Amino acid sequence: MNTKIGVYICHCGGNISDYVDVEKVKQAVEHEEGVMVAKTTIFACGDANQQEMVDDIQKNKLDSVVVASCSPKLHLATFQAVAERAGLNKYNYVHANIREQVSWAHSDNKPGATDKAIKIVRSAIARVRVAEPLESFSINAKKAVAVIGGGIAGMKAAIELSSMGCPVTLIEREHFVGGHTAQWDFLFTSNETGKELVTRLYNEVAARENIKLYTGAEIMSQTGSIGDFRLKIKITPRYIKEKCHKGNLQKAIEACPVDVPDEFNFGITQRKAIFHNFPSEYPQIPVIDIKNCTRCGKCEAICESIDFSQKEETLEIHVGSVLVAVGFDPYTPAEGEFGYGQLENVITLPQFKRIIDLNDRSLVYKGKKIRDIAYVYCVGSRQPEGDNKYCSRYCCTSVIHAAIQVKKKFSHINNYHFTRGIRTYGKQELLYNDSLKAGDIYLQSYEDDPPVVFSENGKTKVKINDILTGKKEMSVEADLVVLVTGMVPRENKALNTLLKIPRGRDNFYNEIHMKLRPVETVIDGITICGACQGPKNITESANSALSAATKSYSYISRGELSLEPVIAKIDEEKCTWCGLCAEVCPYNAIQKGKSGTKEIAVINDPVCKGCGMCLPVCPYDAIELNSYTNREIENMIDALAG
Amino acid sequence: MAIIDPKFGKKLKKYGAYEFDACYNCGSCTAVCSLSTEEDSFPREMVRFSVLGMKDDIKSSLKPWLCYYCGECTTYCPQTANPGELMMSLRRWLITIYDWTGLSGLLYKYWLVSLFAFLLAAAGVLVFGYYNDYNLESLMHYGHLFEMMAIAGVFAFILLPNIIRMWYFVILKPGLKISLITYIKDFKELLIHMFTQKRTLGCDDSVRRWFEHFILVISYLTLLFVTVFLNWFSTQYLFVNILGYVVSAVIVIVTIDFIIDRIRKKKEISKFSQPSDWLFVIWLSLMGFTAMAVRVLIDTGLLEKNVWLYLIHLIILVQWALIIVPFGKWTHFLYRSFAMYFAKLKAG
Repeated sequence: MNTKIGVYICHCGGNISDYVDVEKVKQAVEHEEGVMVAKTTIFACGDANQQEMVDDIQKNKLDSVVVASCSPKLHLATFQAVAERAGLNKYNYVHANIREQVSWAHSDNKPGATDKAIKIVRSAIARVRVAEPLESFSINAKKAVAVIGGGIAGMKAAIELSSMGCPVTLIEREHFVGGHTAQWDFLFTSNETGKELVTRLYNEVAARENIKLYTGAEIMSQTGSIGDFRLKIKITPRYIKEKCHKGNLQKAIEACPVDVPDEFNFGITQRKAIFHNFPSEYPQIPVIDIKNCTRCGKCEAICESIDFSQKEETLEIHVGSVLVAVGFDPYTPAEGEFGYGQLENVITLPQFKRIIDLNDRSLVYKGKKIRDIAYVYCVGSRQPEGDNKYCSRYCCTSVIHAAIQVKKKFSHINNYHFTRGIRTYGKQELLYNDSLKAGDIYLQSYEDDPPVVFSENGKTKVKINDILTGKKEMSVEADLVVLVTGMVPRENKALNTLLKIPRGRDNFYNEIHMKLRPVETVIDGITICGACQGPKNITESANSALSAATKSYSYISRGELSLEPVIAKIDEEKCTWCGLCAEVCPYNAIQKGKSGTKEIAVINDPVCKGCGMCLPVCPYDAIELNSYTNREIENMIDALAG
Repeated sequence: MAIIDPKFGKKLKKYGAYEFDACYNCGSCTAVCSLSTEEDSFPREMVRFSVLGMKDDIKSSLKPWLCYYCGECTTYCPQTANPGELMMSLRRWLITIYDWTGLSGLLYKYWLVSLFAFLLAAAGVLVFGYYNDYNLESLMHYGHLFEMMAIAGVFAFILLPNIIRMWYFVILKPGLKISLITYIKDFKELLIHMFTQKRTLGCDDSVRRWFEHFILVISYLTLLFVTVFLNWFSTQYLFVNILGYVVSAVIVIVTIDFIIDRIRKKKEISKFSQPSDWLFVIWLSLMGFTAMAVRVLIDTGLLEKNVWLYLIHLIILVQWALIIVPFGKWTHFLYRSFAMYFAKLKAG
């Protein structure tokens, strides 16, 4: 029971005092039971005023403090720190919000606002009277990080973690690293090719002793919590020995009778069941696609490096934090969406980029020479209906860059862009300018009147009611129609079930706060970066990777973690283990355990976030939430109702 | 449905258009233009039509003629797409479109053709002089006769049919129904704009540009009248003689000022000069200068011994009357005034 309470009512420089009579509030509460000091202050958060509070606490030997001011989101931590500086436990401080909840909300009714402020301050006093000191607790943190995804973001994060001296396990589902970036040719603004960039990062990863890279690896299970994650990984073999004879292997690849669509070229070419994506693909050993392999044995006869006896491996790793960078997939248009799948010269932007790369002298697709190219923007992005309402950010720049490249590489190309408004933000605007000056033609429509791709007399045409020309109907005969597809999250059902990272309405992983906590997830210890949390270009992915690497490392760098004590507490006597609390816990923090012989619910302290979901479902009132005990809440209600 | 034609933009660059395809349709040009109105808004629309190659829409439009080129659109263009010069090159292109002979197009597009035509005219005059033994009296007689014939011929066979074509493109083909009474009632618009160019005053730049142009037009028309109908070179009247001196002096002074502007390239409208612009202003200047020089020699009695001067004047005159007037920049004098007349008709 706290009996020496200090109460401070803040003017907030007029934000509060213009509507709330703060003097009256002070007079109303200064004689409350236990209140020893009651003051008003112009800015409670000001340095001098904070020091005055510290002096008051020490001089009067106060045991608890209430500040009535702004939202706790803004200054709870500030005044908790004041309490700590004065030698109090920070949980003996209670914050009363009389700005957002009173003065700003009731600026039309000053006397009413003052009455409400008095009640809120009284309830805070009632709570602080029974507030108990709490101590934060610490747990061991394993100094190692698992990075899931070996694309640009994953590799960049792994390198950054490694530089900080943190052992890293880099887990890539495919047999080659680099993700989609490996598929791109020249990149803006560096003019490096995607392959060069991937090669550079791969060599860096390979050179680091504290990075362990697994390709063909998938997460099978995940247990534990921040500081102590345990992941089981299944590794699919390549069926080709590490030391292999290049020439024979090449012959073996040629001998393979299987032809399947090549994902590396987005299905526009075929590959064998033994394959590598491009000559310098990393790791440099080809792989046998066992799902499509017919085991005909032709390759084995040619090349002794081929080894079908290799087995799937499972291994367990122990890490303190998990960094997820599993990337994106290009949106696949629906059958018939702008003629996709129905007209043979309608392709997607990623396919188009591969076609530019694969053709040398003249641009040919399906045996036809290409001259007039129509680009239909925002396919699978900025849709009025469905999940894909978001802008995919990278596509405007990417397609304009591709259009410039295609004009540079081949002659007699005409580019026609059917846009929804160009969003080449930042330096990317330079590309837009270059493309305009190169004579590319831009047309625009709104979402309610998209362009139409149709076939007339055997020719593919695109028409649009161009809003830049007074909605006149304009049309173009196109040899190739490129659907500028956006980004969607990569298909990762298994991983989603295992990690339970919340996803937004767009299906991308959600960070806690886009600006304030951009790489943290609600699951402590798991960070996200790159295009798996939303559309990003390569630069943005790399930046977020550096941020996530730093955040992940900050959890574990000291080898132990200090955690907040505001968590649920089980009353072992009352608990009968009905299991209701475990069912509603969103963090899987409650398990069945034992107290002597009795079965009870046990809280896994590092996992509990103190959300309070388990409290109301308990039929025996056997759970309490630290710092929000029943007694505290009841006292507050009494004060508010009184 | 309009078909997009990217070739048109490339063609337009031969008429002096300059990076107009950099336009990203912000509309700043239209916003700053003091002549653009809600009903007749330009130049962004014309830039857009040019980028997309919508030839028919440009052909039927009067907007290129409604611009009097103050150059503010170019100054404020964030893309340096130069909408002002685009409007100018559309006027050049329209001149070649209105011209039924097609010669205009050749002269605008290929400067070698222009050179050839100018040399041919000069040679013609020299040959004609040769057959007349360079007899001054005979030359002056035929020179005067030529002036009258040229005016009548060029007007009847070139300019009138071209004005009719312009009328066909902008009024008849789009299917506008305009009563005869309106044609008569609004006819004064044509004369007002022809002799005052008062629309220039709507531009934001100085009144000086309008005034210079205005006195140049008046002086040119007066000189034409004085030499052709009052026969300045043979007149006995002191007033006519002095008038001839005054107007030809004005022509020389104003055109030299224009030439200096085009060399200095300080003002937006004189930064970009096509061969047609140089030829027009220089030949106008030479016309005034040689006419004055001829009359000075007449008044001092020295012309008899200096027939070559009259020959030069005659060469300039023939080049002017047979090339620049029917097919060159001179025609803007007519098309601009008729455009204002047709615009008034369209507005009803």
